[in-house]
Amino acid sequence: MRHPTDGTLRRLVDEPAGVADADREHVAGCPQCLSGLAAAREDAAMAGAALRGELTTEHAVEVEVEAGWRRLSHAVAVEGGRRRSATTSAPRWRAALRSPVVAAFGVVVLLAGAGAAAAADWLQIFRTEQIAPITVAEADLIELPELSAYGEVEVTEEPQVREVADAAAAEKATGLPVPRVGKLPRGVQGEPTFQVGGQVVAVFTFSAEKAAKTAAAAGEALPTPPPGLDGSQFRLTAGPGLAAVWSEGHGVPAMVVARAVAPTAYSSGISFETARDYLLSLPGLPDDIASQLRSFSGDGTSLPLPVPAGHVTSSTADVNGTPATVLTSRDGIMAGVVWVQDGVVNAVAGSLSAGEVLSVARQLRVR
Amino acid sequence: MVGRVGREDGVAVSTPQTSSPQTSSPQTSTPRQRGAVRGDLEQVFRTAYPRVVAVAARVLGSRDEAEDVAQEVFLTFGRSSVPAGEALGWLSVAAAHTALNHVRSGRRRARREEATDRDDGVAPDVADAVVIRDERRRVRAALARLPRRQAVTLVMRHSGLSYAEVAAALDLSPGSVGTTVRRAETALRKELNRHASSD
Repeated sequence: MRHPTDGTLRRLVDEPAGVADADREHVAGCPQCLSGLAAAREDAAMAGAALRGELTTEHAVEVEVEAGWRRLSHAVAVEGGRRRSATTSAPRWRAALRSPVVAAFGVVVLLAGAGAAAAADWLQIFRTEQIAPITVAEADLIELPELSAYGEVEVTEEPQVREVADAAAAEKATGLPVPRVGKLPRGVQGEPTFQVGGQVVAVFTFSAEKAAKTAAAAGEALPTPPPGLDGSQFRLTAGPGLAAVWSEGHGVPAMVVARAVAPTAYSSGISFETARDYLLSLPGLPDDIASQLRSFSGDGTSLPLPVPAGHVTSSTADVNGTPATVLTSRDGIMAGVVWVQDGVVNAVAGSLSAGEVLSVARQLRVR
Repeated sequence: MVGRVGREDGVAVSTPQTSSPQTSSPQTSTPRQRGAVRGDLEQVFRTAYPRVVAVAARVLGSRDEAEDVAQEVFLTFGRSSVPAGEALGWLSVAAAHTALNHVRSGRRRARREEATDRDDGVAPDVADAVVIRDERRRVRAALARLPRRQAVTLVMRHSGLSYAEVAAALDLSPGSVGTTVRRAETALRKELNRHASSD
């Protein structure tokens, strides 16, 4: 028989029960494999000792769960307090509004900032509806620093997503025309339910002090902020939006067609480009992401989507002349297409193929 | 139609910014607003905290720093809607990544440690302490130079997660966990030897 792989030999070192009998028997009688097993055992022991580090010496690893929980509860409470105090500042803000810049600031916010939390929300939509398990990618997204590392983020208006009775009610609630689907893909049938959500508003106040602390934690000095940036505010809005959901039994949505007013960012004074270039120069942001963002958004109109590499592939297509981004899960279970037209983000997604979502997208009619 | 879709599960979708109220994880029954903390946080914390600290400690070689990382990871988890059944795997992966990020950005800390080393020269076992600290620094640096997936798989396995648990958390097959761990250990040995001989 063929020699078992290195991986199998490695598992034999510390989880032999997980290795097939045939492989075990082969190894026992094969000098070459026995030698490979010995090498694997040696490296494993070396790695084990190296990784234990100080933990094997005088400090027994006795983790104090109780103390840890007290600390976490405190942190959670402090964070919650900050959120609640947020709402009052909105009116003053509006007075300070000056130059509207478009979604490109959202690029920075999403990828450089709201990071894990925001992306989790996007993923969660699919998780909630049980289309595909996309858990691991969220962990990768944790690598991104949160926007709150560079200042205060306050969500001043929540979207309050809810179900409404029908298309007319969705239209009334959001002011957006409800798209009509031409021909339903195979496997999708019946009438959709409608979900609506209001506008989301968040305000970000840049703090040179906080950014300096974040930089220091990363072992670097904070580049000098451009004049006027410290304390300046950015207001990000998105929505309202609506979605038509076709279910496939057991609450699994077969297809979702959604539209929402595209995110927009407003600056209280400083230009978007200045803020963007500065934020992207800060330590802590992975280089490849910073360079992707920098090359983005010269015109300030590109809408970013955090795509969890490894689980989702993205490609480009067009929907009746408008450039669109097609996302396909690597396991082939779901696909989605997103495009922006006239300031409205449109999406068609479901447990469908890329071809099917594109075909639905191209046949949408807005009444 | 409808089933479960009809509740306040967020389907309104434009970008992550039009965030919707988060749905409850399987073990909590009350839907939460964005920003609220999941109801099962304490329960998950009490079960998983030692494991999460252990994963981070494998990377950082220090319990104190590992506890800092664990706090960070649980805060993020508290705001997430990761299903409770996947919590341990998710937290372990997050702990490994966050700890590796700390190493990657930890040059200043290394300098601070060196300064402290000089200060506490009165300790009787100072020679041992310095050797240990130096060793730990080399391991951390070596881990940071491994391909990220190898490093994460390695520390998870050496923190006591089974092949099946590592496989589920990283979306690998159990077979490729062995392969990845083996490669990581070879690479780690090479890194450590290379630097030992060049010291």
